Amino acid sequence: MKIKAIALNTFKEAIRDRILYLLLFFAAVCIIFSRILALLTVGDRVKIIIDVDLASLSLFGALIAILLGTGLVYKEIDKKTIYTLLSKPIHRYQFLLGKFLGLVLTLFIMLLLMSIIFLAVVFLHTFKIEWSIFITIFFIFIELCLITAVAILFSCFSTPILSSIFSLSFYLIGHFSWGLETLIEKIRPGIGKIMAQIFYIFLPNLENFNFKTEIVHHLPIPSNIFLLSTLYGIAYTIFILLLAMLVFRKRDFI
Amino acid sequence: MKKKLIVFLLILSCGIFMGLKLQINKIAREKIPGSSIIYIPSGKYLKFVTFGYSPFIADLIYIWAIQYYSNYSIPDRYDNLDHIFSIIAELDHRYLDPYEIGAMIAVHEAKDLSLAFKILDRGLEKNPDQWIFPLQAGHYAQMMTKDYELARKYYKKTMEMDGAPVITRRLYANAAFKIMDYKTAWENWLEIYQTTEDERIKKIASNQLYQVKAAIDVKVIKEAIEKFKERFGRNPTEQAQLVKHGLLDSLPKDLDGKEYIYNSQTGEIRAPMIWWKR
Amino acid sequence: MATALKIEDLHKSFSTGFIPKKKKILKGISLAVEEGEIFGYLGPNGAGKTTTIKCILGLIFPKKGKIEIFGHSSYSLQAKEQIGYLPENPYFYDYLTASEFLRFYSQLSLMKKKDKEDKISSLLSLVSLEQSASLPLRKFSRGMLQRIGLAQALLNEPSLVLLDEPLGGLDPLGRKEIRDIIVKLKAEGKTVFLSSHILQDIEMICDRVAIIVNGQIVSQGTLQDLISEKILFTEILLSGVEEKEVEDLGECISTHTERLLLKVFEDEKIEKVLQLVQSKKGKIHSLIPRTETLEDLFVGIVKQQ
Repeated sequence: MKIKAIALNTFKEAIRDRILYLLLFFAAVCIIFSRILALLTVGDRVKIIIDVDLASLSLFGALIAILLGTGLVYKEIDKKTIYTLLSKPIHRYQFLLGKFLGLVLTLFIMLLLMSIIFLAVVFLHTFKIEWSIFITIFFIFIELCLITAVAILFSCFSTPILSSIFSLSFYLIGHFSWGLETLIEKIRPGIGKIMAQIFYIFLPNLENFNFKTEIVHHLPIPSNIFLLSTLYGIAYTIFILLLAMLVFRKRDFI
Repeated sequence: MKKKLIVFLLILSCGIFMGLKLQINKIAREKIPGSSIIYIPSGKYLKFVTFGYSPFIADLIYIWAIQYYSNYSIPDRYDNLDHIFSIIAELDHRYLDPYEIGAMIAVHEAKDLSLAFKILDRGLEKNPDQWIFPLQAGHYAQMMTKDYELARKYYKKTMEMDGAPVITRRLYANAAFKIMDYKTAWENWLEIYQTTEDERIKKIASNQLYQVKAAIDVKVIKEAIEKFKERFGRNPTEQAQLVKHGLLDSLPKDLDGKEYIYNSQTGEIRAPMIWWKR
Repeated sequence: MATALKIEDLHKSFSTGFIPKKKKILKGISLAVEEGEIFGYLGPNGAGKTTTIKCILGLIFPKKGKIEIFGHSSYSLQAKEQIGYLPENPYFYDYLTASEFLRFYSQLSLMKKKDKEDKISSLLSLVSLEQSASLPLRKFSRGMLQRIGLAQALLNEPSLVLLDEPLGGLDPLGRKEIRDIIVKLKAEGKTVFLSSHILQDIEMICDRVAIIVNGQIVSQGTLQDLISEKILFTEILLSGVEEKEVEDLGECISTHTERLLLKVFEDEKIEKVLQLVQSKKGKIHSLIPRTETLEDLFVGIVKQQ
């Protein structure tokens, strides 16, 4: 399949990017450092380790998604490798999807590596494996797929630096969505409030994928939220990819 | 420039800056204790600023706080104790360690008992299933200020929670006794005596019951003696006289059935046995 | 003979600058390329050659106009199946080797797997790059990149091959090789559309040309039609005669030791020069009638605009 070919090629290109290894290195450092940080606390050490490690996975994963994703399409346009590619009998959307899937594959492998180090550190400390951690990591992965789609969207029409800033803002706003809800309650009813509410629904609620608190405190997670959050993530990702396809369709490659 | 010259200058400048760093470190600088933390707003809006990493930030602040409060060179570090631990609670209200440690710092280092109670109360409020908080609060009330009334309240709260340790009831009964609520003390010690399977605890309960009964009985007898004195102007010669004159229905006996020891000269009544020597 | 490529009234403008100012690049291009011919697309820099090619490929969307490739709309996949494209200054994924690169591109068209490997090796030998099959593209020289680009363009056996400045930056040997390949393509029945401004090469291989200046086609047709067979002048290289003696017969271009290069415009004067040299016991080294070249035509047209 054509999309598969482009995805694999993107993957090969992505793993050559040195930034990837730099970020992976920092993530590994943070995870191992959590063990040392835990020594400074009085009380529950495992909580510190899990908190720091999940935060690292989440943060560095997001950075990888943003930094790689924003460069992806832009590099092809800038270096003009895209000319020969698009002159072949493929649809433009196949190109975009291929890029997206290649990057998702890269992210998956990176997350896997970070998770293995994470689990090793936790295992060495507690000598047991917390299976619920996998659920949290799964949702981190879904969140990262969404961020990747956003990064690719911006990369279709903007330079890497601007795209990175936009994507990062998207990430922050996504986690702030809950606060927005509180703020909206304070607005007096009227046009402003309605507009704010529409705005709110549109914006992603990335907190839907955030189960770090539940894992650390061993709280139960309602079972319907799994399915709903996963579907939300998939639906929103598809939405963003469609936007990207729209932008990319009629773009002139001067 | 020639390569050798560059390398030489490199090593030289490296040595210079390392030496300077050591020198500067020796100079004591005015530390404004905890000034940066003061400007973090607490309140629910703080959680929004952390973008989903709040438990992690809570951890960091907690670890920082431990180092900060162990640093004896900062003179007025306890000024922000309440503020900092409230921030940690805001960020991750289910993180249990900070409540305990915060209270501990408040009690032992800052000598501010009311703050300790505030922190532990907050811990219980946010985590209604954690019996450790009222238990600790009761402990501090009892140990630090001998405020048995307050301790009793906390112990009662603890007792009502699932999974509270068995000893809580004993502490409760003891506290009740100390504030002279003999009825409660008796009821609880009786229940402990009847329900425990541990021989040692049974013995303790039995001794405590003895003590409570003795306290009740001594009080009753003493009242009777006072009335006698009012009527007859002198101490009764023996206890039986109190019964003869209708001041007592019957002569109370201790838990083992023995009579109380009456000293007619001083008018004192006491138990025949020291309760903990039984 | 089917029409391989037909462009009708193509218009395109770009808005550039911070305050967008519209600049017209293509102002109504129309041309037709017949199947099986080599078509040259000429013009000075900035005339709109690359823009036209990108419109054909669907990399740029024209404001107005219609483009058809073998009867299909240029945006359709059937059209794209029949095109091969080599861009100007080609740049490819430099971490791939030559064969990996061709393999990747082959996966983007509808070729059967078995055919792919055969095709890749035959293309590599066509462009004389078999030795470098396992070399990563970043180690390729400019000429090699051009050749692998050509190989990539021919992967799916296209009927129409679009080459944007294929001879640019090549040494004379490289240019000859590419020219030979292009001629070979024609022999196989393919149609070649190439844009260039190396006019000597165009003149050598093209059947028809179109000249674009400032976004408009100013001239289109077969080479014979455009360039008259009329002899402009005759260049005679002679020795043994003084410059003064031939002054009235023609224009002295240069004097090199004893040799004289003379430009004679009138046919009658050639006879006189020959007679003069014979009488002086001199020598004629060469006598070349110069007809109008494409360059002359081109320069003349551009100057007119």
